[in-house]
Amino acid sequence: MRHFVIVGILILVVASLTYIGLDAAELLPTQASAEAISIDWLLNLNAIAISFLFALILVPLFYSLIVFRRKKGDTSEGEHMVGNTKLEITWTVIPLIVVVIFAYLGTYSLAEISRVNPQALEIKVLAQQFSFSFEYPAFGIKSKDFYVPVNKQFVLKMESRDVIHSFWVPEFRVKQDIVPGRVTELRITPILLTPPGEPYRVVCAELCGASHAYMFSSVHVVSQEDFDEWVAELQNIAAATDQTPEGRGEALSAQNGCLGCHSIDGSQSIAPTWFKLFGSSVELTDGTTANADEEYLAESILLPGEKIVAGYETTLMPSMEQLNEDQIADIIAYIKTLK
Amino acid sequence: MEHTDKKTAFNQGLIIFIFLAVLTALEFFIAIVMDAVVLLIFIALIKAGLVIYYYMHINRLNREDDGPEESYSFKTNTNRLGMWLFLLSDSFIFGGLMVARINLLGLTRPHLDQSLGLVVTAVLLISSFFMNRAETAMEHGDRKGFLVGTSLTLILGIVFLLGVVGIEWPQAIHEGITASSGAAGAIFFMMTGMHAFHVLTGVIFLVIILRNGARGLYNEEKHWAVEAATIYWHFIDVVWIFFYPALYLIGELL
Amino acid sequence: MNKLKPIWRALLLLLMGGFVGYALGVGLDALIGGTVDFVAPISGVFSLLGSATAFFFGLIGYRGITKGLVYQIIGTFVGAGFVTAIRAFMGLETFGSFFFTEPAWVFGGLVGTLSFLSGVGAFADWYKWAKGESTPEHHQDPEGFIKYFGVSLDHKIIGIQYTVTSLFLMGVGGTFAMIFRTELAASRLQFLTTTFKAFDQNGLQFYNTLMSLHGMVMIAGILLGVAGMINYLAPMLIGAKDMAFPRLNAFSFWIAVPGALLLLSALFLGGFDTGWTGYPPLSTRSPLGIQMFFLGVYMVGWSSILGGLNLIATVVRLRAKGMTPFRLPIFVWAAIATSIISLTATQLIGLSFQLVMFQRLFDMGFFDGTRGGNPVLYQHLFWFYSHPAVYVFVLPGLGIISELLPVFVRKPLYGYRWVAMSSLGIALIGFLVWAHHMFASGLNEYLRVPFMYSTLLVSIPTGVKFFSWVATLWKGKISTPTPMLFVLGGIIVFLIGGLTGPPSATVSTDLHLHDTYFIVGHFHGTIFGGYVFPFFAAIYFWFPKATGRRMSEKLGKLHFWIMTPSFLVMTFAMMRVGLLGMRRRIADYDAMLGFDLTHLITTIAGYLIFISVAIFLYNLFHSMNHGEKAEGNLWNSRSPEWLVPSPMPVHNYDQAIEVVGEPYDYGLAGSKYVDFTNNK
Repeated sequence: MRHFVIVGILILVVASLTYIGLDAAELLPTQASAEAISIDWLLNLNAIAISFLFALILVPLFYSLIVFRRKKGDTSEGEHMVGNTKLEITWTVIPLIVVVIFAYLGTYSLAEISRVNPQALEIKVLAQQFSFSFEYPAFGIKSKDFYVPVNKQFVLKMESRDVIHSFWVPEFRVKQDIVPGRVTELRITPILLTPPGEPYRVVCAELCGASHAYMFSSVHVVSQEDFDEWVAELQNIAAATDQTPEGRGEALSAQNGCLGCHSIDGSQSIAPTWFKLFGSSVELTDGTTANADEEYLAESILLPGEKIVAGYETTLMPSMEQLNEDQIADIIAYIKTLK
Repeated sequence: MEHTDKKTAFNQGLIIFIFLAVLTALEFFIAIVMDAVVLLIFIALIKAGLVIYYYMHINRLNREDDGPEESYSFKTNTNRLGMWLFLLSDSFIFGGLMVARINLLGLTRPHLDQSLGLVVTAVLLISSFFMNRAETAMEHGDRKGFLVGTSLTLILGIVFLLGVVGIEWPQAIHEGITASSGAAGAIFFMMTGMHAFHVLTGVIFLVIILRNGARGLYNEEKHWAVEAATIYWHFIDVVWIFFYPALYLIGELL
Repeated sequence: MNKLKPIWRALLLLLMGGFVGYALGVGLDALIGGTVDFVAPISGVFSLLGSATAFFFGLIGYRGITKGLVYQIIGTFVGAGFVTAIRAFMGLETFGSFFFTEPAWVFGGLVGTLSFLSGVGAFADWYKWAKGESTPEHHQDPEGFIKYFGVSLDHKIIGIQYTVTSLFLMGVGGTFAMIFRTELAASRLQFLTTTFKAFDQNGLQFYNTLMSLHGMVMIAGILLGVAGMINYLAPMLIGAKDMAFPRLNAFSFWIAVPGALLLLSALFLGGFDTGWTGYPPLSTRSPLGIQMFFLGVYMVGWSSILGGLNLIATVVRLRAKGMTPFRLPIFVWAAIATSIISLTATQLIGLSFQLVMFQRLFDMGFFDGTRGGNPVLYQHLFWFYSHPAVYVFVLPGLGIISELLPVFVRKPLYGYRWVAMSSLGIALIGFLVWAHHMFASGLNEYLRVPFMYSTLLVSIPTGVKFFSWVATLWKGKISTPTPMLFVLGGIIVFLIGGLTGPPSATVSTDLHLHDTYFIVGHFHGTIFGGYVFPFFAAIYFWFPKATGRRMSEKLGKLHFWIMTPSFLVMTFAMMRVGLLGMRRRIADYDAMLGFDLTHLITTIAGYLIFISVAIFLYNLFHSMNHGEKAEGNLWNSRSPEWLVPSPMPVHNYDQAIEVVGEPYDYGLAGSKYVDFTNNK
């Protein structure tokens, strides 16, 4: 009996300490969405259960190891206890009840995070190797960065151009795969403004190829006024750039994900930079050099595998066959401006 | 050994065959006149049950050991268990293909030659009948009956293969159902191909027991190889019992 | 050369074979490419096959596995050449950047595997049977260590073959992990950069290949280790002379050898960037390596399927007299549960891989959304095996824990029947939980809830095991030699792996945890606790049974005390960064996230585990000839194999065994588990 009392007390102590430790360790990112509240609440309940079960098994285990260890020279056998059906039933049924409760809470939490707001802001997400781009059909704008107003649910309609990707902002908690050939949906209600200069990141969470690690975009949760301002600015820019080939080219490059791999400031990336590209001579894999003129650029956009720049043999660029001749000319016009 | 006499055993095989033939005809007829997936599944299950019980003799798994561990009969009982476990495992491949078919095609089916489908199905069914006769003959020490039955099974098996791979495949390709034309084509070639591969291995197995049987290596006591080939051949038939309606009968034409 | 000890001769030849193969590969590459590439894909494959062949030639001469490898090389060439010739005849492309084209490599790999099996002699008896000849029940195995390098029908030899191959593969998989863990020690790319180049891969792609191969090579290693434990132990524990189908048993082992080589050759043939899961459409766009990966796993899968079949037949048919179901050793129950899964579910990973293979080879559109295919179908087929597969890994390990605890506690296993049934329970529930890997996959919404319930249910039988273990320890007379330390370590580590399961099984929390390092930490916990620790325990425990000598206790304890804390640090570190937002399967992470220190610690812990395993390997090989003699009942066990002298005689028990009591009645005076009888 003495053993049981000591172990019982120790279990409570160790369980409490474990939970306090887990709680103090700050193991979760900023809680920036309504969904995160529900999920963190459930994670916390899990942490309590884990702490308790952790102590429930380990305390008697270590207690036995210390108290019941074999003394030197002792060759006797242990007590002949073969089992106790009532006890077995107890530790089957009680966990069963706990599990059902947790599953119920899980269902409840799932229902909570799947709640549909019919006024949600619809945003289209287009994923491809290795970039996201976003379209706001209500405002007729497209963007490389992700802007949403705070305290308003948004619904993502996501499509993939090539392989399976996944949309995940750790601060929002929830994630959803983006599967080619179908539209997947994700609803999130952001509740916290991103600190200025420190945007969150939406990352691709499903392995999608060589540069999977670099597939991300910045996420800005802003006030409704700032959001409206941003929308207006983009609309203006879109209207203005629509007038010039360079402007259209820039927009096209962003929408088609070119800028996910090709930098425009000369920085090293997984694809050749566009900075000072036009007119330069390019060293190819077969040892020859090519002059980066209109013809070369157009060919490289349509048939990326034909002439490959030395050092970039292995990262395959998808063919941009969805672009028409004028659009390609626009993109080349844009590349010309980068010097 | 079951001590039924040879004639009763032959007759039982024949009656089961007639049942199977009638059910197959019924299946075909039902598919023409109405849209009754559940009924078709039900009939397929009955057919499979008949083959598994009366042709594959699943109840022999319960047979008592009548000798020590080294005896032929003890080993045959072990081998039989191994064979059934293998078929259980193998059926998961076909089950997986069936799942793929249901997932991708749902209640639609590719446009295939119905009469050819019915013919190859009948050929396989008749081959099962002769396989049963061959085994029954061997159980009663009738070597000639065994050789005739096995030869006929073998010929029908080859006819089935030629029918599926030699006629049905080119015809489907001609109709525009190719391996790369879409999910329906891919599923059609994969299912028939995987089944044909099993028929091919079954045919090889039959050649082996035919040759060894002709050389007098089996007798009514010791013929595990014959029994194994028989079970395997009927298993191939059971698979087709499900694949036939899945490919030819169920659902709307694509 | 002949004066050298075989092992040195073998290692020398290994180097030479590697060089010759390498030179040959570079030469061939030059022949078709024009530019000599010094890390050409084909030279890697040739080095691998060449050095393996030369190594075994030096060790045992031209027989057994050497012959198999020579046949495999020739077979691969004949197969690939055949397809190449047909392609040339049809006017298709005949050579590619991997020398042969993809269909040629695939067919070559297949023919190579079959050639290996026929070269090594795994088909020999079956071929004779088909010709109508009879063969002796058992063949005489050669004397000495050579018997381990050819086809043997003895379950103990096959068990050891499996175990050693498993250790080798896990060593290779561990080495891969060390390489990419080094890259992860700090943010940004250090050496696997975009300018790095090996076997047609840049740094990022090479990272993905290593990471993917680490997963699958470890899985193959674990499957072989599980088969090793089951093969060596199960017949002995149930009092049988051998497995039910000794030839099938040998075949199951030998098919895994070319399978493992195919898997490793993926590293050289362009690698693959899909992770071990091989999800299409990414896997339909991967380099050639993915085909070798599929083919290799397919072969290892057959090994697992046929091994499971054999075990079930053995336990059903060949138990000793009086061994009723509830007198079976608890490990055998675990082996049955495992075998049920490997016998059936394994077919579906084979099928899912085969479908992707065919999609690549014949352009069939199973998983192509634009042609009516469905990428998510693959995930269903894949996880239908690959979730239960983790129970294949851990159930035998948990069985080892339950088997060894009573010996070192000197008390009966608490609630034997409940523990036995919990293994079956886990296996059967395991068939109904696969979609919990797909909560974020775009699976039908309504399916997520039932799969959450079924997954959480797994914790009930697992809990029964934990409670029983603790109750077994309670009031025992506990001693802690090395095997017991690993048993206890296994319980603790598996507890951590297990407790982190429920948050990953609950849909809403999993939407945060899915595809993060939390999951990586979680499953490393379950696999280390459920497989690695018990596997080591089993080796330390039964090593004397196989060799008549025991392993060094001192080194064993050193192994344990380095590995356990390192592992705990590693797994906790992984879970921490995962919760904070670190994705899985990335070569580089943002320094802004502040994970550098944690990753550095993880890497150091990883190195320490690697070092501890090296100590273990030294101990293992050194003790074979120099260990302390231990021929009697070293651990004072009740199990029948310890009642006969070590090493175990060829056909196990000279006298028939009759079970007369309960297996774990330690502490019950005058009780007996087995009796030896003379009337066979």
